[in-house]
Formats: sequence, C-alpha cells, structure tokens
Amino acid sequence: MTRIFGRYGFAIGILVVLLIANLVMNPARFAPGNWPTLLGLAAPLIGAALASTPVILAGRGGIDISVGPVMGLVSAVVIKVLYLDAGLASPFILWPAALLIGAAIGAFNGAMATVVRVQPIVATLGTYLILGGLTLTILPAPIGPAPDWLKAMAGAWSFLPLGLIAALWWALCRTPFHDQLMAVGSDDRAAYTAGVPVSLTRFLAYVLTGLLAGAAGMMLTALIGSADPKVGANYTLIAIAAVALGGVSLAGGRGGLLGAAIGAVDIFLLQSLLTAFNVSTYVLQVAYGTILVVAVVLIALQDRSTKRSHA
Amino acid sequence: MADLSLTVRDLSLRSNAAPLSTRISGGEIVGLAGLDGHGQDVFLRSLAGLERNSGAVDLQGNRIATFRDAERNAVVYVPRDRRSTGIFPGISILDNFAIATPGRDRRGPLISAKARRARYETWKERLQIKAPSPEAPITALSGGNQQKVLLARALARDPKVLLLNDPTRGVDVATRLVLYDLFRDLAAEGMALVILSSEIEEILVLCNRVLVFRDHALAAEMAGEAMGTEAVIAAMFGRAA
Repeated sequence: MTRIFGRYGFAIGILVVLLIANLVMNPARFAPGNWPTLLGLAAPLIGAALASTPVILAGRGGIDISVGPVMGLVSAVVIKVLYLDAGLASPFILWPAALLIGAAIGAFNGAMATVVRVQPIVATLGTYLILGGLTLTILPAPIGPAPDWLKAMAGAWSFLPLGLIAALWWALCRTPFHDQLMAVGSDDRAAYTAGVPVSLTRFLAYVLTGLLAGAAGMMLTALIGSADPKVGANYTLIAIAAVALGGVSLAGGRGGLLGAAIGAVDIFLLQSLLTAFNVSTYVLQVAYGTILVVAVVLIALQDRSTKRSHA
Repeated sequence: MADLSLTVRDLSLRSNAAPLSTRISGGEIVGLAGLDGHGQDVFLRSLAGLERNSGAVDLQGNRIATFRDAERNAVVYVPRDRRSTGIFPGISILDNFAIATPGRDRRGPLISAKARRARYETWKERLQIKAPSPEAPITALSGGNQQKVLLARALARDPKVLLLNDPTRGVDVATRLVLYDLFRDLAAEGMALVILSSEIEEILVLCNRVLVFRDHALAAEMAGEAMGTEAVIAAMFGRAA
C-alpha cells in the first residue's frame, strides 16, 4: 500500500484536491447518482491512457502514438461497416471485432518495433497516418447512431469495460508476463542475460496496447453514440500526458495501469473544473501542460531522493 | 548427472586464432585465467552461446550455438558487469531474484507471492544473503549481497553447467569465503562450474583445473599439483615456466 502511494502519491494528491474542488463548485453534476455518467465521460481518456501504458512500460523508447487513430478506426468500422452496413448489432460480435482490430494493429506495430526494429515513435507515427487516412476513407463524415446497449456503456454500465480491464490487469500482474515486462523495461540487457524473452515480451506489450486501444475505441463510440472519424486522434497525446502524470516512467519499467488511470481521471477532473469556471479551451491546454510539467518534475525529484537514500 | 560433460571442439576465439578443444565434466571446477582481453571472456561467453565463432560446443550431444540453446540445456551464465547486465535497479530484491524463473511460483494460472517468498527464503538461507526486506530495492544491498542475489537467480534455474564471469569482483572477503564453499558444494552435487577470475589465487584455491589464455588461444592447461602461481603467470605472459 505504501508502495502504491509512494509511486502515485502526487497523482492521488491532485485527484483528491480536484475531486473536492469539483464537488464544491459543481455539486449537481458530481452528485453520486451521476457518477456512472461521469465515468462514461472520462472512459475514452482513461481507456486511451491505459492503452498507452504497456508499451511505455516495455522501455527502450517504447511508445505507441497510434492509440488515438486506432480508437477512431475501431469506431468507424464497428458503426459504419459492421452495424449500419452489415446489420450486426450483437455485443458478442462487435466487441470481439473491436478488440481484434486493435490487437492486429498492435501486432503490426510490435513487429515493426521488435522484429524490423524501427524506432517505436517512427513506426507508430506511420501507423498513425495510415489509420487516420483509412478511417476517413471508410467514413468521411460522422454517422450514427450506435446500438442502444453500446450507448448504455457510457451511462449506467460505464463501469463494465473498465472493470473488465482492471480484472484483466490484476490477473496479468500475477503472471510471469508482468514481471518480465517490468524487467525488460527496467534493463533489457540484464533481462536478456537472465533468460527473459525480451523481443517476445515487447511484442506482446504492443499487442496488449492495441487490444486496450480497441476497447478504448468502443468506449469512445459509446460516449458519442455514433462514429466520428476525427475525434480519435485527439486522444493520443493527452493520453500520454495522463500516463506521465500517473507516475509511469517514460523510460520504462516503472508504474502500472492504475497510475495511468489515476492520471487520466486527474486530467478529466481538471477539464471539468475549468469548464465549470467557463474557461476557454485554450487556457485548458495551458493548464494541462503546466500540470504535466510539474508532475514530471516532482516525480523525478522523488526518484532521485529514493535513489540517494538507498545508495 | 554423473557423466555430464561439456565438450568444446575446435573453437576459435577470433578469426585466425588457434582453435582449442577441451572437455569439462560434472563435479569439476575449471578456472579461466589470462590477462584481461586475451580471450578467456570470449571463451566463457561462447560456452553460453553468446558469441558466434567457428567450432562447436556440445552438452551431452546437444549443440549449444545460441543463448537460447544454452538456456534450454540448463547452461547458465552469470555476467561480470553487475550494474549493466545483472541487476534491475528499480525492482525489488525478491523480483530481481525471481525474474528468470517466474513460472515456478505459479499456483494455478496465477503467481503466488507466498510461493515466491518461500523460494527466495531457501536461497537466502543457503547463500547467507543479508537483506533488510525482500521488498526493498536491490540497490539497497551491498555489492556482495547483490552478487548473491544474482547467483540465487541463476541457481534457481537448476543449472547443469554454471558459467561465472568474475563472480567475486568487488565482493568482500567474508562473502568470498561463503561463495567458495557454495561453489565446492555445487560441484560436489555434480554441477560443472567454469569460473573466470582476474585473481590467480582465487583460481588456485578453488579450481581443479585451470585454462590459461593468451592471444585468444589456449596457452596452457594445468591441473592438480602442476597448478602454481609462477606457472600460471608464466603462461599468461607467454614465457616458458
């Protein structure tokens, strides 16, 4: 417990402060009965932040900037191609389809980064551009609606997808994969000499990222109740900001999905607080940037002091 | 385990260096000596499948050409540079120990923290690791104790052949004695140990046989009574003893 708090202390601190501020400023919106809806509003960002985390944990510059476009593509394919054109409405078809698309793109990114060994940022930038164009080709303009069960996942059932991801991560943390992922992110040469399958672990991290991005795409679709080819990409950078804010080291090997989720909730709460003040979206961006820089500096200072106390 | 043997045939440590052949059996402790950079390091890494040279390394007829082969055949390598290729500084002592063998802690599909801890405690006892708590980061330990954790990590893989690259470098005298006893016990249990050391005394105290390297070739091989400081040094510098 102390370990969790130590790592995420700053993000949790901001969370508490922002939550109280929101409760005071905006009691109606933050009434307990509204929490499922609020969670639904925050879900795409949380999902995008969760998705960005595994590859960052895998280290050596691991990053996936195609998370946002994957969300957009999933949304377009699920609504336009599968639901409206092919008439498939069952969640047991649409969810697996979304996850499969995500995982396939993740596998492609993973192969580029671990087999071909292109720098991850370049490889996923390529994917980012390809997917952006592909999404617009499939779906030039927003279209709707989404099936009712999916819209409910942004309302009363908003906890369901996130809860399942939490359960999945909880289980993953108790498999060798998690330890190997952290080891690879911490020091890949040492991991190799310890017999950890470094490339495979990294590859799986990309697949996991893709899978979670697929899920985030569904949460986005649920929230907007339709498919919009242009929203997805916006999530890319803000999700990475949330990850950094949540105490996940961009150098790899430290942090976890819980931190990323807390970071995303922080950003969401900041957003809703400033919106309550009627602040312009430009100022909102300044606020994001500032809080991110402050958080990263504080985390770095904390790391330095723990290192010194053990040296 | 009794007739375990690691065979090296016509291994060249460098292109156009004289090839060398030798056989290392279970229960044996073989020392590698030589001036730094004269091939003993390459030789040890070749046994671990980390180098690609002409020649063949076999364990009981299984070819060891890659690091993966070595892993599959329980040939375990403990690197020299603890900081860059050994420890994971950000990770706890317990996880540093368990990282090479996470599957052993499985109860059903998931890992049990309790099983991992129990496994660590047995090695902690055997290696006399002095550590505050298994949850502490490994950087909280002294160099000697970090080395013991790395050894515990390697030994947890049940090696048949243990390749040690200067295992007592930067390790205090008390810990060395613990390690020497451990190495002798492991050899008595039938493991083959190959130890590269920069200290001749260590090799003379510990090993049954010493291979002395010069210019990426085997300059001398001595065993038993013939092993002596003078002779080893002479071979290292290419003088006749």
